[in-house]
Amino acid sequence: MFNALLRIMRHEITSIFREAHAWLTPILFFIITVCLFPLALGSDDPLLNHMAPCIIWISALLAILMSIGNLFRQEAEEGYLDVLILSSHSLTLWVLCKMLTHWILYCLPLILISPLLGILLHLNTSEMLLLISGLLLGTPVLILLGGIGAALLVGIRGSGLLLPILIMPLYIPVLIFGPGILLTYHAHLPITLHFAMMGAFIALSLAFAPLLTSVALRLGVNSS
Amino acid sequence: MNSLTFENLTFERNQRVLFDPLNGKVESGECLQIQGANGSGKSTLLRLLAGLLTSEMGEIRWQNQSIFRQLDDYQQQLHYVGHRHGVRYHLTVLENIKLYGEIFLTKTGAHAGAKQKQRDILSRLKLDTVLHRQAQHLSAGQLRRFSLAKLLLHPRPLWILDEPTASLDNEGQQLFATLMQEHLRTDGMAIVATHSPFDWKTICLTLS
Repeated sequence: MFNALLRIMRHEITSIFREAHAWLTPILFFIITVCLFPLALGSDDPLLNHMAPCIIWISALLAILMSIGNLFRQEAEEGYLDVLILSSHSLTLWVLCKMLTHWILYCLPLILISPLLGILLHLNTSEMLLLISGLLLGTPVLILLGGIGAALLVGIRGSGLLLPILIMPLYIPVLIFGPGILLTYHAHLPITLHFAMMGAFIALSLAFAPLLTSVALRLGVNSS
Repeated sequence: MNSLTFENLTFERNQRVLFDPLNGKVESGECLQIQGANGSGKSTLLRLLAGLLTSEMGEIRWQNQSIFRQLDDYQQQLHYVGHRHGVRYHLTVLENIKLYGEIFLTKTGAHAGAKQKQRDILSRLKLDTVLHRQAQHLSAGQLRRFSLAKLLLHPRPLWILDEPTASLDNEGQQLFATLMQEHLRTDGMAIVATHSPFDWKTICLTLS
């Protein structure tokens, strides 16, 4: 059963790679946004290093918002969601795998490229490691929460800006504690609390988001 | 012997009742044909019967038990083919078929036998020449044929089909009629919404 789900996800990845331009857009957007800051601020301004975590986090969040709205759109248009509901698999498990795939394809590249961008923002090695571990804990939460919103809006045409409005309030805690790790580190204060909070967010959203998303998908399919 | 019954089934959307309360029954070997003008609620009725939509009024029973008490089990007994084909556009025909295999997890016999059966089905549907073409590049008729492939590859007793012959050529329509007869003869059952009348034994339900 689980192997079958993994093979379903392999087809998923093939399908996304066949539309490579749609896949690359948010990643390029992330790189460009981060690069604009040193250009606008001047590359040797100390403010740049201070703001680096905020720059990376906000750019990553916007890049995720670009792609997350389409998490289930293609599936709904193809009628593939109906097929999945009538399948032998649990929709919740499929949703979890789908979100994991989305994270690997859309977030992992951002995290892998952020050390390079960190050089532009004058981050040293230990700062970079803290930033990356924060992103590793935080971006899955953004995907999991965003998935709920994407599923709620799946039956609605032209929902464009509705999604950011709907899920931004849920993103705020991550946006406070994520960049907060490095900001606290800069202020020479203990950072355990921030990591504990990020851990709590990911545990909580892992437990509830896939279930809520599958319920929302059934409702969305209901209305389309 | 399987049976599906529905009683006093109606559906309301935006404070508008889509169709008057309907009653009906389908048993193994029978086909229920649903007719009605455009917008009379045929597709909605089919989605209701597949458990993809819920209505507060009326009841649908599979083997004399409400489908919502056994939704997962019930939905594994049926295939639904709607206006949307349920085909992944960026995958090739062959990849889609493999994907269906993973989704429906039908127990197939010997490996070689299953492969041969799959080839037979695809050549019957005249899809054997487009195996490596992405589904988005198939013609409307080919997509329609392909949406019928899962009915044959993964046998389930109940077929719920929405306009299955739309955009099929004459040959395709005849093929569909044959497939349908085979399905009904092997104790399958079907609920079909269509405009074109069929020449096999059906129960008709007309939506006003």
